[in-house]
Amino acid sequence: MTAKEFIKKVLFIEILKGLALTLKHLFSPAVTRQYPAERREPFPGSRGLHALVIDEYTGKAKCVGCGLCAAMCPSQCIYIYTSEDEDHKKIVNRYEIEVLRCVYCALCVEACPFGAVALTEHYEYSDYSRDVFYYTKERLLENWNKYMAGQKGKEYFEKFWRPKSEDFRNSKEPHAS
Amino acid sequence: MNIGITAIKVVIVISVTMLHVAYVVYFERKVIGHMQARLGPMRVGPHGLLQPIADGIKLFFKEDIIPSGADKPIFYIAPVIGVIAVLASLAVIPLWEGFSIADLNIGVLYILALSSVGAYSVILAGWASNSKYSFLGGLRSSAQVISYEIALGLSLVGIMMLSGSANLSDIVRAQSDYPFVLIQPLAFFVFLVSMIAETNRAPFDLPEAESELVAGYFTEYSGMRFGLFFMAEYAAMFIMSAVATVCFLGGWNGPDFWVFSYVPKIAWFLIKVYALIFFYFWIRATLPRYRYDQLMGLGWKLFIPLALVNIGVTGLVKESSNPIVIKL
Amino acid sequence: MENLKDNLDNGLKDSLPIATKELTLNMGPQHPATHGVLRLVLELDGETIVKCTPYIGYLHRGIEKLSEHRNYFQIIPLTDRLDYIASMSNNIGYCVAVEKLFGIEVTERSQFIRTIAAEMSRILSHLLWLGTHALDIGAMTVFLYCFREREKLLDLFERLCGARLTVSYTRVGGVKNDVTAEWLEDLYAFTGEFPMRVEQYETLIDQNRIWLRRTKGIGVISAEDAINWGLSGPTLRGSGVPYDVRKFMPYAAYDKVKWEVPTGKNGDVYDRYRVRMEEFRQSNLIIRQCIEKIPSGPIMADAPKFILPPKDKVLNDMEHLIHHFVLITKGPQTAPEGEIYVATEAPKGELGFYIVSDGTGKPYRMRIRTPSFVHISALPKFSEGSLVADIVASIGSIDIVLGECDR
Repeated sequence: MTAKEFIKKVLFIEILKGLALTLKHLFSPAVTRQYPAERREPFPGSRGLHALVIDEYTGKAKCVGCGLCAAMCPSQCIYIYTSEDEDHKKIVNRYEIEVLRCVYCALCVEACPFGAVALTEHYEYSDYSRDVFYYTKERLLENWNKYMAGQKGKEYFEKFWRPKSEDFRNSKEPHAS
Repeated sequence: MNIGITAIKVVIVISVTMLHVAYVVYFERKVIGHMQARLGPMRVGPHGLLQPIADGIKLFFKEDIIPSGADKPIFYIAPVIGVIAVLASLAVIPLWEGFSIADLNIGVLYILALSSVGAYSVILAGWASNSKYSFLGGLRSSAQVISYEIALGLSLVGIMMLSGSANLSDIVRAQSDYPFVLIQPLAFFVFLVSMIAETNRAPFDLPEAESELVAGYFTEYSGMRFGLFFMAEYAAMFIMSAVATVCFLGGWNGPDFWVFSYVPKIAWFLIKVYALIFFYFWIRATLPRYRYDQLMGLGWKLFIPLALVNIGVTGLVKESSNPIVIKL
Repeated sequence: MENLKDNLDNGLKDSLPIATKELTLNMGPQHPATHGVLRLVLELDGETIVKCTPYIGYLHRGIEKLSEHRNYFQIIPLTDRLDYIASMSNNIGYCVAVEKLFGIEVTERSQFIRTIAAEMSRILSHLLWLGTHALDIGAMTVFLYCFREREKLLDLFERLCGARLTVSYTRVGGVKNDVTAEWLEDLYAFTGEFPMRVEQYETLIDQNRIWLRRTKGIGVISAEDAINWGLSGPTLRGSGVPYDVRKFMPYAAYDKVKWEVPTGKNGDVYDRYRVRMEEFRQSNLIIRQCIEKIPSGPIMADAPKFILPPKDKVLNDMEHLIHHFVLITKGPQTAPEGEIYVATEAPKGELGFYIVSDGTGKPYRMRIRTPSFVHISALPKFSEGSLVADIVASIGSIDIVLGECDR
């Protein structure tokens, strides 16, 4: 041990430096966010509670019940029940999401060929019973009106509905499959 | 004579200390919080000022769970011993000139003795819980408290030599010109470290090292019994800081010029005590924890020799300044 | 002197009528220092560990088995949950493996984005490691300082892909969405101030005498032993073996940037700590270079057989719509048969995906070689003969995540 090191050790230089750092923080502002009083806005595209998209022209759900989202869902928490009406048109009787099983990967959004299902930015929906988290079609449509209505909903699919042609290398040429 | 007056003094000191314990916890949480770039308690009352009261109420009404394998009588009594030992120490602390419940002529020894009694509560709690973590915590604590007691006691010997008394009030009076820390810096350093170890606080909080022993000796305690341990720990910090103030920092004496002479004596005493308590928290926010064997090595190989050297030097200096002719 | 001591010891043993036996201490699965649900059964002689047996499996979710019933796209969210501290690295590891199996070449922009994301997740993972490791040794302030920076990086993750922890960001053949210039700028600003933050952590612990005494010479493993036990990542590099998958078998854009592999010397807790602290700086450097060099261009590879077709085409074009349906419901049907093992450097060590493909849209078998699993197996080697307090330091220094170990 050199003399310098010895002096450093006796004078507690490194500990004093540490103490100075903590003391400095004592007088600098805290980074805490006082959660319920001070809420942080989720960033655009943040994956939160589900919603079924309402077509702004028809005012009805965009979903046609093709079942791709249910097929893609890794946790298999989407249930779709369809039937045929008198004109032999397919109608979606029930569209249900078991939110407690969802992992919020947004693969359903990616799978949907109509842009009919979306993940809103809403993330505060805790409750006391499990039943509440079984979202039916009506409640999912309601979510769209609540959290995604207007400009936000329009922008959502422009920004986060991927992949798009421009994402691919040969975007000019037709995509051979 | 004054059993009545003494009783009133006792009530005042104990109630003030209890309130103090509650708010020193708040103080700690705030200080450490801000040092860690967060806020500490903010919810109960403005800036969390009622938090200690809420905590107290919660602890008081929580279920008192006793492990089925516990040695029940000892389990019950262990936290009580801790609190009583600490509160009894309050009796000899001179808060200002002439105010101490008992003006004992062996005040220093009395405090050291009671802090040893406090170690019983930890050992007994660790033993009676019938849990391995508590047991290890209790063992660590007993070894630690006994080792550091020696360093603590030895560091105070120099003070007793200088003031010629073991009475705490006399020690303060002996410092009316200057505090002893100026001529006993080494002893002050040893005392400062030993008092942290003696009260089982970071970086010497091995008996309750949460990363190793979950919560150490009070792992199995809950409710108010847990609260009593908490109370004992924070009251012990107050006692130790008070002893350091009395023995090294000049007790209730303050600068005696300009506006300072109008400041009441008790304020000087409390300012010094709180500065030391702040130091406790500051250290806790900064340093990692020692390992058990390193801590013991430190105590025996460094602090006790240092304290002994200090005693020797103090004795030599004192003797050479007023030489005594040795008669053969 | 030695003889005398031996005699004394023997004499004591003979004269003691009390039989002694080791104290069995069950540490975990609920214990503040076992980082999740690791359970250790320790046999103690006083405070010295005579025997240490790790028990795992408390967080087993059957990810490997689940993967056999999911097509190649659906496995991505599952990999998030391996090492949930660094889910991005797992995503990338999986996608690199699958791309190699399919023979897809990822575009350059995507490579750079992946490198940036992987290094971000390395910093995230190391920040959590540093915080908890320091907390285990008692320096609790470091923990909160680390989380302050973690928060900023996680916010950047949320802006990038919509999630903070379980990102599911990469896709087979590219990434989910492109990065914006604004995002890159903000990340660049972060990397500018981050080295200063690392210095702050170091001020608190690096030269601190207590920290040094708690970490130097503790949990030593020699380079030879480390290789024999199959250690990898910073745990191996702490012993002085400069093995890093990013250098030896470069993937993503690691061969296009300049960086060094920090190594230790003694293989103790302190050296592993130093290696990771250096990796903070190296990762920071890689991110900066990547941001400076990132080329423009598409983010998805041109491999229509394995990649979902573009959405605008799906909406307008019958063929694409049909293709879209087939890919999602059955998985990529033209996956080549065979097996493949591809390793990537996750923050904890070598993360390998071994995939057996039988030509259907799902893997026939997927085995994941996770660093934590291997490291836990070496834990007795680290800790036997040391004290209880040291095992806490050792666990911290090998940086385990039980989600990855138990899968």
